[in-house]
Amino acid sequence: MIEKVIYSVVAIIILAFLPPFLDGISRRIKAILQERQGPSVFQTYSDLSNLLSMESNMPTDRLGFVIAPYVAFAAALTAGLVLPFGDFVPIAFTGDIFVFLYVLAISSIAFMMAGFLVENTYANAGANREMMIILSIEPILGIALGVFALHTGSLSISGIATNLSLAPSVLLGMALFAYAVYTECAFIPFDVAEAETEILEGPLVEYSGRLFGIFKWAMLIKRVVLIWLFSAVLLFPTLGRVIDFTTPLGSAVMLLAQLFMLVVFYAMSAVIEATTGRMKIIQVIRQNTLVFGVGIVVLAIASMGW
Amino acid sequence: MVEAHTADLHGETKRKHGDEKAVVNREYLDRLIERFKDLISEVKQVAYNQWVVVTDRENLPKLVLWWLEESGFPETQLSTMVATDERPINGKFSVTYWLSVNAKAGDIYVGIRSYLPPNDLWIHSVAEKHGGANWYEREIMDLLGIDVKNHPDPRKLVLPDDWPSCVYPLRKDFTYYDSPPGEKFYPYRKTGEKEVVVPYGPYHVALEEAAHFRLYVKGETIVDCDYRGFYAHRGIEKISEGRLTYEQVCYIAERICGICGTTHSTAYCEAVENAAGIEVPERAEYIRTIMLEIERLHSHLLNFGIACHLVGYDYGFMQAWRIREHVMWLAERLSGNRKTYGMLTIGGVRRDLLEYRKQLVQEVIHKINTEFRELVDKALSTRTFEKRLEGVGVLPYKVAKAWDVDGPLGRGSGRDFDVRRDHPYAAYKYLDFKVPVQKEGDVLARALVRIDEVFESTWILEQAIDEIPNGDIIAEYREIPPYLEGIGMTEAPRGENIHYVMTGENNRVYRYRARAATYNNLPAVPDMMRGNTIADAPLIVASIDPCYSCTERVQIVDVRSGKAKVLTEEEFNRLSIKASRRV
Repeated sequence: MIEKVIYSVVAIIILAFLPPFLDGISRRIKAILQERQGPSVFQTYSDLSNLLSMESNMPTDRLGFVIAPYVAFAAALTAGLVLPFGDFVPIAFTGDIFVFLYVLAISSIAFMMAGFLVENTYANAGANREMMIILSIEPILGIALGVFALHTGSLSISGIATNLSLAPSVLLGMALFAYAVYTECAFIPFDVAEAETEILEGPLVEYSGRLFGIFKWAMLIKRVVLIWLFSAVLLFPTLGRVIDFTTPLGSAVMLLAQLFMLVVFYAMSAVIEATTGRMKIIQVIRQNTLVFGVGIVVLAIASMGW
Repeated sequence: MVEAHTADLHGETKRKHGDEKAVVNREYLDRLIERFKDLISEVKQVAYNQWVVVTDRENLPKLVLWWLEESGFPETQLSTMVATDERPINGKFSVTYWLSVNAKAGDIYVGIRSYLPPNDLWIHSVAEKHGGANWYEREIMDLLGIDVKNHPDPRKLVLPDDWPSCVYPLRKDFTYYDSPPGEKFYPYRKTGEKEVVVPYGPYHVALEEAAHFRLYVKGETIVDCDYRGFYAHRGIEKISEGRLTYEQVCYIAERICGICGTTHSTAYCEAVENAAGIEVPERAEYIRTIMLEIERLHSHLLNFGIACHLVGYDYGFMQAWRIREHVMWLAERLSGNRKTYGMLTIGGVRRDLLEYRKQLVQEVIHKINTEFRELVDKALSTRTFEKRLEGVGVLPYKVAKAWDVDGPLGRGSGRDFDVRRDHPYAAYKYLDFKVPVQKEGDVLARALVRIDEVFESTWILEQAIDEIPNGDIIAEYREIPPYLEGIGMTEAPRGENIHYVMTGENNRVYRYRARAATYNNLPAVPDMMRGNTIADAPLIVASIDPCYSCTERVQIVDVRSGKAKVLTEEEFNRLSIKASRRV
């Protein structure tokens, strides 16, 4: 019982309070690559606490405008709770994979809604772009998870993670999954929905103060959730073979390994971010369509049982 | 040593010689006179490479359009247009179109002039058939109240939205501190069916200064673009004519632009020197060249960084600005200032180049050559970066020619045109360099032109440092006689800068007209925008390296904020008028 409490606390800390720190690391890495001083790794905490202590400007009196950041925040956090932390899954049931996909999509939809609710062409353009990205990337995410589900015969995330074997289709599925996660995380070159220098942060352009802080925080959480899932899918079939993660020690080692991979993947994406330019929405859609085509092939391979 | 060093950088065994420089050539003027001898009433030479041809206003467009469109002269250009209120001298207004020939064909500027009676001010539009004259003619409508008949777009250009009609600030009976109140109105183009207006500006993260591009968008595609600028118009010309001496104008000219100030002060000094026939010592010419090239280096590095930033490629942005820092530091050692060097004065330069500082220049050149080459290689091999630049904002040669665009924008579209070579000034006539030209006309082509120019600049600097002669740095001159005229031309980092000066009495300029490179480039922006997406808009605008305050001729000042109090617009205007009276 006490174990469960500890794991729950750790899960909440990782999901809610670690993301700003990871963002700080990412900013630091970018600064080093760009040969500049850069902020401290705790800068994002200061930014968020600053924003959260400030009043928001209200460009519209629509309720949705106020709710959207909270919805995005809650959705991102909830999606994280169905993921495995070592041996422990805060909320586990069969079919939670669909819940994960839908709940995570809700945070994107809140982002989109926020853009459409204000009369600002930049916000609308950003919301439009977000919609196009969701519509083109969600199928890829679905295919990747579908490949895993098909392979393991399970519809729960923990079931998938623990039962995966490294078949060719699974490896291809993982590549697809990595691509989908990176795109969903809205790292450069896929940050077209915000695109500061083009459409002034898109849907966020009218946000300020507390609401803006919550939105930023929600987006950081969403990134961590996606990468956490990826590292789980990657670690359980590999490291899970070596250690028995159902024992308390094994579970702790697995959790630490997951954490380690989270930091590694976050750092890797910082390197990619620092050294590429932003794509155009048309280029993103074209590329996603191509990847989707590849995904269909992978799904076919998986259905043959390879 | 210098040669060996460039050789291994460029992978050539020996540096090829650059282009030939143009020499003064009267032949083009003779052909104009021969063709239109019945219509020309007077021809006079105003400076070594400048002539003025006087005709009547009925035939003015005919002569101008013949030169620009029909003559077949290489790379003809409408370099500037000056209208002057000459009522105190001869009771008339004058309008002069300054035309030039480029592509190393000959160093010549011809001003085609008409005099207009003050009670019947009109001319026929050239812009009707030649787009490049569009802004010039709108400007004289605004500032001097000369009616341009059949102009395709007779809206306000320079004056603010709330400027009253029938008040013309550049007329001699208008004092420089007047600020008449009026009603605010501007007729933007109406939106068509299913079009959405995306206001890119007046304030936008990707714009360094205030400018308003009104994008008419369907989905993400730009179908049209309207431009409203000159928010930063401060009337430098009027101040120069009204209250400054020749020497003082030099410094205000430098403050026209925060980036390419020295080209402006050089152009102004040249204009006065050309008008008054002052010979600049050779050492001063070299020092001018060195400062100009340092300025070009920092400007091109800055623009490259911005282009990187706009496509989200912040690695390139930071690196380019880090490399630029060497140049800024060098400028500070040579002139005492990182920017706005204050080196220029009429007749020469104010500071000498000390022997031991040559070493500094060579060190910086070496750093730039290696570090920038490395950065360029990395950037151009970054797929997302190149993909964003390629095929975006295409300006075909014909359109470029029609708008008379200049600088890297023109050269990116295949216009073989560089003032340093085609109208050699300062020490460029002694130095060897190439003029890079690209044919594609897209944002990438412009970036490549600038990249090549960075290396050409370092090469020019190397030669200038090696060859600089000893001697005076400033010419002595007596009082400048009144009512002489001349133009000064420089190749700014953004293109051709033309300053026109008519000397006046009491050590003052009678008429001063500064034309910055961006003035010719901005009107072409709508043509580059159409068919691209809003994601490309900032990149396209940045690719011409726009300099709004140059175009609008201002200086930027800090405003100390007063007590917090909400003013209505009218109150605010009244207060500002009162405040400016005090100054």
